Formats: sequence, C-alpha cells, structure tokens
Amino acid sequence: MILTRLATAWALFQGLLIEALPFLLIGVLISAGARWFAPGGRWLRRLPSHPLLGPLTGAALGFALPACECGNVPVARRMLSGGAPLGAGLGFLFAAPVLNPIVIASTWAAFPDQPWLLLARPLGAVVVAVGLALLLGLVGEPQLLQADLLAERRLHQPLAAVGLLERSSGLVGAPPPSALSAEAAPVRPPLAELMKHASQEFLYLALLLVMGSVIAALVQSFVPRSWLLAVGGAPTLSILALMLLALVVSVCSSVDAFLALSFAAQVTPGALLAFLLLGPVIDLKLVSLLGLLFRPRGLVLTTAGAALMVLLIGQWVNLWRL
Amino acid sequence: MTPPLLQRAALWRAASLGLWALVMLVSSVDGRLDLLLRAVFHPLVALAGLLLLLVALLQLRLAFGPGRQERGDRRQARTLLLTAAIALLVLLLPPAPSFADLAGQRPRDETAESELSFVLPPAQRSLTDWVRLLRSQPDPKLFAGDPVRISGFVLPMEGEPPQLARLLVRCCLADASPVGLPVHWPAGQAPFPADQWLAIDGVMGLKPAPGGGERLEVVPSRIRPIPRPARPLEP
Repeated sequence: MILTRLATAWALFQGLLIEALPFLLIGVLISAGARWFAPGGRWLRRLPSHPLLGPLTGAALGFALPACECGNVPVARRMLSGGAPLGAGLGFLFAAPVLNPIVIASTWAAFPDQPWLLLARPLGAVVVAVGLALLLGLVGEPQLLQADLLAERRLHQPLAAVGLLERSSGLVGAPPPSALSAEAAPVRPPLAELMKHASQEFLYLALLLVMGSVIAALVQSFVPRSWLLAVGGAPTLSILALMLLALVVSVCSSVDAFLALSFAAQVTPGALLAFLLLGPVIDLKLVSLLGLLFRPRGLVLTTAGAALMVLLIGQWVNLWRL
Repeated sequence: MTPPLLQRAALWRAASLGLWALVMLVSSVDGRLDLLLRAVFHPLVALAGLLLLLVALLQLRLAFGPGRQERGDRRQARTLLLTAAIALLVLLLPPAPSFADLAGQRPRDETAESELSFVLPPAQRSLTDWVRLLRSQPDPKLFAGDPVRISGFVLPMEGEPPQLARLLVRCCLADASPVGLPVHWPAGQAPFPADQWLAIDGVMGLKPAPGGGERLEVVPSRIRPIPRPARPLEP
C-alpha cells in the first residue's frame, strides 16, 4: 500500500518537474538574453521607484515576457540584482505570472462563459502584487533579500541610493567622476561567460524546483484532496480550502485555469478566483525557488500577505456574485 | 589542493546539463510523457531537451577548449553533483503510478458541459464520452439498451462494486481527476484487482442505484483484461 503510494508520488513528482523545466529554461534564457542585449541593465534602474507606479510598471512587464511563475523567478532575480527599484521587481515577480498573454488566453479558453473572471483575475493579481510590494517595501532590503542577491544589487545601485548603514564597502559621499564614467559604458559579457552563468543558474534553479516538486508530490499523495473540496459550498471555508489547494497542487499559472475548471461547479466563485490568484504568487513548488530571492522573513510575509489579500478578495467576490 | 571535480567545472556542468537534456529527450521518445503530461506539452519538453543538449555541448567545448581552466567553488560542486544524481535517478526509475490509488484520493471531475455539440454513435463513444453525455442528459432512460465498447481501469469504490474509470488530465498527472462508469459485474465472476485495465463490450442497462432510484450501468457481455494503453490519460 505504502509502496504503491510512493510509486504514485514518484510519478507525480516527475510530472510536475518535467512540465515545469521547459518554463524554467525559458525564464533563464530570457534573463541571459537581457544580460546580453542590455549589459549593465541601465534600463532597469530607470524603472519608476514610486511606491504605486513601480509595482504597476513591473506588473505590466509581464505582457512582454510570457513566462509562468517558475520562469519568472530568474527574470525577477535578474531585475533585482541589476538594481531595479524594489517595487518594480516585486510587482513583476508577483503579477507577471498572471498578467501575460498566455495565461490570460488559457483562462479565457477554460472559462469562456464567465467573462467576469477574465477581468477579475488580472485585476486581482495587480492588487495583490501592489499590496505585497508595499508590504515588503516596509521591511527594508537587507532584512528582505538574500545576502548574495543584495550584494549583487548593491554593485548596480548608485552609491548615493544606499544608506550609510547598509553599505558594506565603498566611499562615503558622492561617487568620484571616474566611477561614473565606468558605469556609463557597461561591457557586454563574452558569450562563453553568459552561457556559463546561464547553465549554472539553470542547474541551481532546477535543484530548487526538484525540492519543491518532491514536497508537492508527497503532500498530494498523502493528503486526500477530497478533504479540501468537501467544504465547497460554504463561502469562507471554500475560499480557505481552495487557497490551500493552490498551495499544494503547484501547477503552473499557464495551465491552472484548466485545473480549476474541473471543480468550478463544486465551489463558490470567490473560492475559484482565490485559487487562480494565490497559486501564481506562492505554492509548495515555488517556496524553494523564492528562497533564492528572499530571506525567511520575506517568505513568511509574502505567504501571509498574499493569503490575507486573496482571502479578502475572495470574500468580496462571494458577496457580489453569490 | 583543489579537488579534481572543481578543476573542471565546465565539464561537470556539461555532464549535468546533458543528463537533464537526456531526461527530457528520452521521456519524449519512450512514451513516458504519455503517462505524465497532456499531449500539447510534449513538443515543448522535446524542444527544451534539444536546447539543453545544445548548451551542454557548448559547455563541453568550453571545458576542452583553449584558455584558462575554470575553478569552481564547493557550493557549485555540490549543486552540480546533486542535480546530476537526481537527473540520473529520474532517468533510471521511470514512473509507475497506480491510477486507482491516485483516483481514489481525488474528487470526481464535475465539468458541467451545458450542451454537447457533437455526439458519436453509441458503440464509438469512449468511457469519457459516455460520462460527459450522461451528465449533460440526466434522463437515464434515453440510453438504456445502447451498445457500449469501452476500456478503462478498475477503480474500487467505497460501499459499492468497482467502476471502470479513466483519468482526465489538463496539464500533468498532478491535476488528474477521475471519471468512472458503474459496471454490473457478472455474478460469480472473481473481482478484478484495482488498476487492472479492461476492455468491456456490452449494453447500457437500467439498474437500481445504491442510493435509491435508477441509474445506468454497463452490462458487459464480454470482459477482456488488456495491457495499459500507450496513452492512458484523456484530455
């Protein structure tokens, strides 16, 4: 019995992993392409740092980069390490998995008879992304971001933008003119260097994806899903249950609408939307990948903040649609 | 003294990437993907495998090419070794899921089709076609006596005889949800084990439902055990 279940979990693991790896590769290639075409990434630092405009711009970038949430992490990491304003990077990280042509098309394909969902999903994703960017912005970068990401980020930020206490090196005061001119002419990395970096990044992210998929496969095999859907009709419980399901199932945002279709008839509309909003922001498969960007505190805040906002949105939708 | 692994980081990277490329490419040709993913994703996996193979070859050229040997650090070495080991494990241990076990934990697929635009003649309908048709036309009397030729796996049910079932998959095995048809198993027939694939010829018959009332059940005239089909998942 336990062996059968483990064999099933092994197959689930392979399914999750092999489905996500191509998307991860796309993300790594986009991130490498950005390093090649815009070495130094000066455009990143020109993104708005306004608390509201920043995340909105980041979210809008999702339309240009059709990746789902696994492919999104390397791109967001590249943005943040290149010195993009925190809000813009986080806005991209959290909203782009929903705000991209592929995901919107697949949502429409799955729910052609529910036009409200087609509007509510991107809108909700933007609200959650802006809310999370504001929330995480309160923490302060040294407490939020992983040490090596932070170190890379500092290299690309103008020294004046970094508080004295946050600097680990560098001169005090305005940068000397020589530093400015060095920054003005970024060098394109040699192709071999670019490939090396991309391969190393892909392998490292693949390892994290493996860990996430193992956890997701084990939880899925040993916790019967019918427990979660048993509460389908109750307004608040159904939202909570489907949020938990989104965390556990860990399928990519480009296909989760089709999965939601299979139980759409059994649950409240708010719960359905909650499932479609929370999964792209955080799930078991993503936790280890996001650990590449955030310290544990950032991870906890992301999960709690996203869960709270999605719950509120779901409740509101239930009041409106039920 | 640097350990030998670290002296040729590019070589190890090439090996690791090559193994992952092999995972994707071998899965694409050995039928493993049919068991894991919906068919629309198969070309994507194959393409990713080819791309990875290309990158691996480029890394290999780097490892043996002219220029300074690159030395990696220990963390890099650990990542490379671990990913290579996992890729090897995935390659050597193909998936062997129990569909009945998976289906037993999942809620039934409840996709409500408001109307079916196209209905096949009875004997050509698959198990999934039958389930969808019966759901869209809830009057069971309409179909009593129709011929049935279906295949599926044996799914044990709680408190009633096993059904013949299929798994519907929208993306990968993780989102599989079962659909099943009740079968009026012949009296005296030894029960088939869970997961056994069967081809059943017979007719639809009205039988008393366990919860009261009547429901359609497949009344078999011939039951043949068959091996698992090459493409066991249905969209």
